[in-house]
Amino acid sequence: MFKKWDIIIIISLLCLSFTPELVFGVMMGKNYNGTYAEVTLDGKPYKKVLLSEHRGEDEIEVKTEYGYNTIEIKDTSIRIIDSDCPDKICVKAGFISKPGDLLVCLPHKLMIEIKSNDNEKDTDIIPMH
Amino acid sequence: MRKTFRIVFIGLLVSQALALYSVESMIPVPFIAPGAKLGLANLITVVALYTLDSKRDVFLVIILRLFLSTMIGGSLSTFMYSVAGAIFSYCAMIFVKEFFKDKVSIIGVSAAGAFFHNVGQLIVASAIVENIAIMLYLPILSIAGIGTGIFIGVTANFIVKHLSKLHYFRNLT
Repeated sequence: MFKKWDIIIIISLLCLSFTPELVFGVMMGKNYNGTYAEVTLDGKPYKKVLLSEHRGEDEIEVKTEYGYNTIEIKDTSIRIIDSDCPDKICVKAGFISKPGDLLVCLPHKLMIEIKSNDNEKDTDIIPMH
Repeated sequence: MRKTFRIVFIGLLVSQALALYSVESMIPVPFIAPGAKLGLANLITVVALYTLDSKRDVFLVIILRLFLSTMIGGSLSTFMYSVAGAIFSYCAMIFVKEFFKDKVSIIGVSAAGAFFHNVGQLIVASAIVENIAIMLYLPILSIAGIGTGIFIGVTANFIVKHLSKLHYFRNLT
């Protein structure tokens, strides 16, 4: 009653039924619950740094016509470690790591914003004052 | 196949499918997975696929059964799920039957039909809730579906074997 191709079809259908699982697994693994830092220069996106999977220390040098900023990424947090801007506000701000946090170096028009792929879920913005 | 015979036979198939549908709705769902059911009416689709000459008549049987079963006991939402499932499984069964010809028996055709019935339903479900993640439910549904599909295929095998003894169906394989 069973033929050889019946078995082949049934087995391949069973395998096929797990494809959504695989596709979603790959997609989730890539950006699920991920935070990343977006560096913008003069409003234009310059670089994206994945933070949630980041381990160890890294440095990025950003040079513009206004000057330079050295960005340090340590594990999942990011800060501006050095800059030649006059006020050094960005350096004093220290590390940021939570979605929604901002680092701004106004003289260099540089901005680092931490974003999350599921930011609707985990950032509750409570207006103070 | 003469014209009168064709009409009567299609009518018989549709009424058998409706009877199976209403009997099936009385059986409590024997699976853990919600939404999974035996799909006894699919038996008629498979039998129609193997006994009727033209593909159009098979489609007619399916569509008539869908409309009438919705009128007997169903809602618009179950109709939408059923239509998508039925059209998907119809295409899949035609494809498997034509592509593999003699290499595949009714069991393979019926299992493919059951699987694509589930796929069609889940596509409609994910379109309704606008979330493709519903497709993650596919393995549970399709394992149950392929299981009943094999069962339906075995049953249809017996039916077609006995039908082929009638002289109307001499040309059946």
